[in-house]
Amino acid sequence: MADILDILDIEQPTAEISRDSILHGDKVKKKYVTAKAVKRPEGMHREVFALLYNDNKDLPPLLPTDTGKAYKQTKAKLGMRKVRKWTWAPFTNPARKDNAVFHHWKRVSDEAKDYPFAQFNKQVTIPSYSESEYNQYLKSEDWSQAETDHLIDLCQRFDLRFIVIHDRWDRAAFRDRSVEDLKERYYGICATLSKVKTNPWSNTVTMVNGEKRIYHYDAEHEKKRKEQLRRLFDRTQEQIDEEQMLLTELKKIEARKRERERKTQDLQKLISRADSGNLPATTQVNNNNEGTSTPSNNASNIARRHDRKLHKKKLTAQQRPIRTVESVTVEWSGIKFPEARGTGVWLRSQRMKLPPGVGQRKTKAIEQELRLMNIDIAPTPTEAICKHFNELRSDLALALDLKNALASCEFELQALRHQYEALNPGKTLTIPPSICNSVADGESKPVGEIIDVVGSPSALNTTI
Amino acid sequence: MSLQTDFGPDSGGRVKGLVIVKPIVYGNIARYFGKKREEDGHTHQWTVYVKPYANEDMMAYIKKVHFKLHESYANPNRIVTKPPYELTETGWGEFEIVIKLYFHDPNERPVTLYHILKLFQSPVSDGAPPVIGRALVSESYEEIVFQEPTQLMQHLLSNVKPITNGPWNHDTDFEDKKEKTLQKIITSHSKVRSEITDLKEKLHLAKETISKFKDEIAKLQNSGSTSMMTGL
Repeated sequence: MADILDILDIEQPTAEISRDSILHGDKVKKKYVTAKAVKRPEGMHREVFALLYNDNKDLPPLLPTDTGKAYKQTKAKLGMRKVRKWTWAPFTNPARKDNAVFHHWKRVSDEAKDYPFAQFNKQVTIPSYSESEYNQYLKSEDWSQAETDHLIDLCQRFDLRFIVIHDRWDRAAFRDRSVEDLKERYYGICATLSKVKTNPWSNTVTMVNGEKRIYHYDAEHEKKRKEQLRRLFDRTQEQIDEEQMLLTELKKIEARKRERERKTQDLQKLISRADSGNLPATTQVNNNNEGTSTPSNNASNIARRHDRKLHKKKLTAQQRPIRTVESVTVEWSGIKFPEARGTGVWLRSQRMKLPPGVGQRKTKAIEQELRLMNIDIAPTPTEAICKHFNELRSDLALALDLKNALASCEFELQALRHQYEALNPGKTLTIPPSICNSVADGESKPVGEIIDVVGSPSALNTTI
Repeated sequence: MSLQTDFGPDSGGRVKGLVIVKPIVYGNIARYFGKKREEDGHTHQWTVYVKPYANEDMMAYIKKVHFKLHESYANPNRIVTKPPYELTETGWGEFEIVIKLYFHDPNERPVTLYHILKLFQSPVSDGAPPVIGRALVSESYEEIVFQEPTQLMQHLLSNVKPITNGPWNHDTDFEDKKEKTLQKIITSHSKVRSEITDLKEKLHLAKETISKFKDEIAKLQNSGSTSMMTGL
């Protein structure tokens, strides 16, 4: 409000006098004036300007106000103890033989001590031999004494670093020798001398259980090993690729082999199962259609035959209702009730449950028979009753199967008789009456009808 | 009573080779009201029960009996922990009651009985109303077989006290029923057996006849028309 009034140059009404206006009334005016004074100069960055003038619009102080005591200490104080002095002091290394003097920093307090790292200067003891010893034991056709001396000298100088020894070998005086040759000679000397002399002068001899153990250097093996490594290293990229390729091929071949073996096993199982299970039906089919199948060991051949058999079985199964009643293959075995169970609680009546393998039709037929015999289909379950009841039902199932088998036998007989009559008109075959009698009245009728449906003898002839 | 201690760690503490059989009777009795009740349409009061066949207190080994009623009943899962293991309700319909027996040893799994609640006499004659006041009983005999029970169960099963000092009877004479049933089954079985031998003989004869017929036909075909054979 006040700004607008200012802009429009209208006198501010002074009527409103509150506590607020008394306290801040003149301040507002003053601010207005100072804000004008500290306007940001042209081209000055906002951030820089903000450093100079804060929100209070105060100018920065001309004199430093902070003594600096608050943030930093005059001296770092890290430990509780008094500081010990270091000095730049000269020292000699006892491992060196040239008495060279070097300098290093060390504490004033620990004086007069050997250079501690001198102890790491380990010396290799190289065997030595006298003239007579050499002549007695170390003579070699390949090595002259001078050459051997040179070798021992180099070994001493280079601490058995044979690569260096080989490098520094005096090729002008002696013939060039491989690292393996040098090593063989050196360790050979060591071994011989250790046998002859008794003092353990060399690190090639170690005492194990009071017995001398001599390091034996096998130069042949070393040569082979290095050659092998060299060859491995020298392989070209093509050779590496070829090797990889061959390895993957090998894996593939092995996998294929396993697969083949697995399949053969499966096939064998299938064949044995088929042979045991379908033998009656399939052999009959084979005999009827072709008697030329020779047994063969080839698995695939058998499998193909097996497939064919199945196919043919299907075909005959389709034909059967029309005419051929070639085989009566009914499995009759009664009912196999499950064996006594393990531990636990069970109800006796559970024993009388028909196993799930028994079909609904058979169950119904058995129940019908039981009703005819006036026996409860769920009798009082005692142990004896359970046993006898199950046996009874098993035999009932067997009897039903036998009846069915007999019925189909009779059907077949009728069909054969018709065939005979057709081939040899005027004559007939007699079916033993006992067979026909066995079939229930209800069942004999449809059989007769089916035979009628088969057709006249002449029709049969032509179809054959 | 000394408990056996020679059992392996895998046997679950079961007594090898021991079988204990506890015969029981389960079923229901039902009583007709005489009329349909006005408020809920119920017609019968019935009691479903499980009781020992012998005069024995089943509490020694039964922990609880769970009766599962038809879902139309309020809280159909009823549990009875003390003898008599029975449950009385009213209703108008028959349904299957699932009875589950739990044993004191939790290592022995509970066994399940199924009983069809029976309210009406078997030949339901529409005209004749059920007899008022006389109870209808439908009960079954069953044997609980404890095959190699746990030692705890063996102990419990062996220490069963009689329920009552008086006589312990059942509505159904199961001894008589057992006897008769067994006799009937055995006689029927011998009949079936003789039938089987008869059938086997006939089948044998039939097979022989079949091969004979086939031979006859083959003879005819060979001697007779060769034209037919080529057609084949």
